[in-house]
Formats: sequence, structure tokens, C-alpha cells
Amino acid sequence: MSYLELSNVKKSFGTTIAVDDFNLSIAQGEFVSFLGPSGCGKTTTLRMVAGFELPTSGQISLQDKNLTYLPPNKRNVGMVFQSYALFPNMTVADNIGYGLKVTGKPKKETNARIKEMLGLIHMEEQHNKFPSQLSGGQQQRVALARALAIRPQVLLLDEPLSALDAKIRLELRLEIRRIQQQLGITTIYVTHDQEEALSLSDRIVVMSKGKMEQVGTPAQIYTSPETEFVANFVGQINLLPVKVVSPTQGKVKVGEQILQAGKFGHLNGNPIRLAVRPEELNHGFIEGANNLSGKVEAISYLGSIVRIRLDVEGNPISMDVFNERKLTIPSVGDDYQVTFPVEACWII
Amino acid sequence: MKTKRINFWAFFWVVLAFLYFFLPMYGTLDFSLRMKKGVLSLLAYQKVLADPQFLASFRYSAIMGVITVIFSILLFVPTVYWIHLKMRQLRPLVEIITILPFIIPVIVYVFGLIRTFSGPPFQLTLTPFKTDILMVAGYIVLAMPYMFRAIDVGMQTIDVRTLTEAAQSLGANWAQILFNVIFPNLRTAILSGALISFALVIGELILGDFLARPALGPYMVEVGRDMAYQPAALAIMSYALTWICLGLITLFSRSNNNQRQILGR
Ligand SMILES: Nc1ncnc2c1ncn2[C@@H]1O[C@H](COP(=O)(O)OP(=O)(O)O)[C@@H](O)[C@H]1O
Ligand SMILES: [Mg+2]
Repeated sequence: MSYLELSNVKKSFGTTIAVDDFNLSIAQGEFVSFLGPSGCGKTTTLRMVAGFELPTSGQISLQDKNLTYLPPNKRNVGMVFQSYALFPNMTVADNIGYGLKVTGKPKKETNARIKEMLGLIHMEEQHNKFPSQLSGGQQQRVALARALAIRPQVLLLDEPLSALDAKIRLELRLEIRRIQQQLGITTIYVTHDQEEALSLSDRIVVMSKGKMEQVGTPAQIYTSPETEFVANFVGQINLLPVKVVSPTQGKVKVGEQILQAGKFGHLNGNPIRLAVRPEELNHGFIEGANNLSGKVEAISYLGSIVRIRLDVEGNPISMDVFNERKLTIPSVGDDYQVTFPVEACWII
Repeated sequence: MKTKRINFWAFFWVVLAFLYFFLPMYGTLDFSLRMKKGVLSLLAYQKVLADPQFLASFRYSAIMGVITVIFSILLFVPTVYWIHLKMRQLRPLVEIITILPFIIPVIVYVFGLIRTFSGPPFQLTLTPFKTDILMVAGYIVLAMPYMFRAIDVGMQTIDVRTLTEAAQSLGANWAQILFNVIFPNLRTAILSGALISFALVIGELILGDFLARPALGPYMVEVGRDMAYQPAALAIMSYALTWICLGLITLFSRSNNNQRQILGR
């Protein structure tokens, strides 16, 4: 069931192609994230849905109605910006009610909606304050309420948490998801933060250089990245340059150490790499699994995780372990044996 | 030791600047109060205020000033808004254009105006009313550097583009955006531009003189030719008016900030 549909959408600014060949079909009530590095075209795509940019070609439709050329104030699409963009001259309540006021909704309805929205973001007490009197997190909540007050068909958020402190960011992230689920509103969320995308979304669109790299659920994106870009961008990954030993069995080697790839396509003479996530590695040796030996190069504490960097035949390999008290951490320069299951690695 | 030295020199320069500006003004003030022999009096001021021609020309210039301010605002707010919104790359060019009135002598400009608009097809100097239209248009150009800059600075302090988009996505049309979002957030900027423009029109001499309209500037010159004490009184009064305007600007911008600060954290 397609609710919001982007077909063959393309946008160029002069000679730069910001977005190309974008095809996506979003179901009603779905939470979709656009994830990618800065400059990959996330905002541009979002702005085309909002109506702030016209696609160079392609079509955007909502409930089978063509939206492509509709001006933004006729779309009934809510937008939340990174910079909050609250009207400085209006109180919290007036900000939230603005969309209803300009479209000529009755005062009674407007006031009721303002109240409802203030309850939704738990800010009833602050209704009379001006934006300059609020913290960043509060301002962004008001911006969210303002966008939702018009009962939009789609909610668009462009890096809404990027300007906030880490702690508030986490708090507001949970709140956004709660409100989205409570209202069941179709949402597109733009971010360059993989953690946000993974934790919030029903589906993630990973983008690079104006193109979609992969579309999938957070689990699919994380465990089965289809391209090297996705593997690298989402989470940490080890990419070990290997030589093919047996193309039919998926056997490869690094130096003289033989490894078995879990997933492999056609293996030909091209240079290939074996991908495996750092958390899949364990210390030790298991018969029948993949085993590697190397030298410890560096150890870094990342809080709950300790990252051990090894040198395996001249290639850097990272291994993540939980920072448990019982853990025996090797020393730099030690010889070290690691093992990982065959299913955990694949050829890229 | 060092800070003391700096303080001394800072103090020295401030005093020097103060004397440079205020001694002549004090001289004029003193002179304007000496119309009656031997005593200080406000006689010169009374004479000026009693002159019906002064009142008429002041009224005329004040009206011209108000009309100029209104049309400047209506012209420049949407223009600067559009430049900030859609044509950022044109801003340097527009900025240069707006300072042209500083570069081209007013007299050259006025001759150009008269040559262009007094003949057919415009014939804007045929009746007093048409000439007034030309006057206001001329004043708008002369006030342009101040008005543009004031509004431009005001626009830079708010995120015009994002605020516009936020309002648009909420369903607002252009008029609603201008009047609900842009104007209210530019109040201080518009006001300071308006007051400077008003003061400029009140004191302007050449345009009124060459277009032969009863403005305050030409009147002051005329009085200055024929009399001794009244021009000094007039000068002090026009100074005072300018200072009042500047004082109002400071007051308004400060009260605006205060409001934010008192309300803010
Ligand atoms: N208005 C514009 N004019 C010219 N180039 C633009 C404009 N907006 C975006 N771009 C370009 O399009 C590309 C994608 O930008 P954007 O969508 O903002 O990326 P993201 O949001 O993923 O960081 C970038 O190369 C950017 O420089
Ligand atoms: Mg962006």
C-alpha cells in the first residue's frame, strides 16, 4: 500500500546533480529515515517533498494525488528544521496555533488544538513564553508541536536533533518516536547519524552522492549491507583484502591464512575484500570457524566497549568486546588469536 | 600601570572628540540666546516659532518625511526580503547601488531628475502635486542608503529563509508571511531606518530648493541670508530634532533588547 510515492525524482542545481534516480514508496504511518553523509542529497529530497524545491524531473504523489508542482503552503505537510525556526515574535501557543490561524480555522478549534499539542509535548506550563526563553530541546519540541498542529499528512524532519546536546538528543529521540507512534503519522526523518536512523526507523534509505544505496529495515541495513558504502557508513566494519582460493566454495586467503566466506557471489579474478563487523570477532580458536592470528596494535576504551586493533598480515582489523570486569585485555605487541563464524562474514 | 595609561589616553581622546563636536554647538546655542541685548533669552526661538512661513515649511517637510518613510518601508522591506530569500548572490550589487546617493552629489542627481522628469512624457513639474511626487521619489532615493542598510542588518539577525519556509509549510501565503513574520521581527530595524530617513528629509535642502517647493531646508537658508539670530535658533532646533530621532532609535532598540533579556534566561 503506497501512501507517499517518489518516482524517478531528480534534482540538479546547474551542473551539480543533488539527487538522481530516486524511487521510494512509503506506507501510511511508516517512519522512514534518509541516512547519509553531508551533501548526499537528503535535505534536497526532503525539500522536494515539502515543496521548497521543484524536481528537475520525476514525480511525487501523496495518496495518488500529484504533489510535484503544488506550492508548499497547499501541501499539508509538516516540517521541522534543524534550527527550530520558531517565530521569535510569537509565544509558544501562538507558534503552535499559527498554521491554524493562517488557514482561517475557528478560534475555538485552534485553542483546543493548541492545548492538545501542548499536552503532547508536555509543555502546558510554558504556553506563554517566547522562544528566546526556552532551551534548545524545548524549542524543538514546540517546533514539532507546531508542525503537527495542522494535522499534516506527512511529517518531515531535517536533522532535528543535530543542534542539541547529546543527552537532550537521546531524550528527544525517544519522544519523537513516541509521538509518531501515538499519532501514527507518516514520517520522513533526515539524519547523518546512523544511531538515530537505526533506533527510530521502520525503514532506512541509505544515500550517497545523490543516489539511494540501499533501502531496508534497520536490521537488514546493519546485518546485510549490499554495498561497501553502506557497510562502511552504518556501523564499523573490517574490510580485509583477500585472494580467492576456491571460487566455487568461497574459500579465500589473507597471507597464508585460509578463510571461508559466508556469502559470496561470483568470485572472479578481481580484487575482493572480506567484510566482518568488529563485534563478531572473539578471542580464541574454534575448529570449523574462521580463525586469524595477528599482533595487537592498539587498544581503545570507548566506554561500554573496548576496541582492540590488530595487525593481520599487514591489514588493520578491529575487534570490539564488552568492557566487562572479567575481561583480560591483551597488551600492545602481543600475539593474538581471533575467531568469527562463517555466517558473519561476506564478500564485498 | 599600563591600564592606567590606556585609560588616560582613552579619556583624553573622548574629551577631545567631545569638545570638537560640542564647542561649536555650544557657540551656536549661546549666540541663539542673545537676541535681546545683554541678557539670555528665548526671543530668537519665539520669533522663529511665530513665523507662519516656518510653521508652513516645517509642516510641509514633516508630511513629506512621513510619506517618504511609508513608501520607503513598503518598497524596501519586500525588496530586501526577496534579495535575502531568493537572490543572495545579488546582494553585493544591490548594496553598491544603494550607496550611489553617497557617491553622486545631490546637485547632480537633482539636475538629472529635473531634466528627465520635467519634460514630456512625464511632465512631473507641471503642478505642485506632481512635483511633490517627484520630491518624494527623490527623497526615497536619498534615504535609500540608510533604509536599505537598516533593513538589511535587521534581516541578517533573523533566519529569513527558514522562517519563511516554516510559515509556508504551515499554510501561510506571502502577505501573511510578510505581515505576521517578517515585519514584526524587523520592528526595530524598520524604526531606526524610518527615523533616520525622516531626519534626513526634514533637513534636506537641495531637492526642495531646485524643485521650488516650500520645504524647511530652503526656508532655513533664506532666513540665514536675511537674519542673524533666528538661523542659530533654527540650527539648534534641527539638531535637537535629529537627536530626538536618534534617542528614539536607541530607546526602541534598547527596550526591545530588554524585553528579550528580561523575558529570556
Ligand atoms: N540551493 C542549492 N544550490 C546549489 N546547490 C545546492 C543547493 N542545495 C543543495 N545543493 C547541493 O546539492 C547537494 C546535496 O545537498 P543537500 O541535499 O543539502 O545534502 P544533505 O542534506 O544530504 O547534506 C550538495 O552538493 C549541495 O551542495
Ligand atoms: Mg542536510
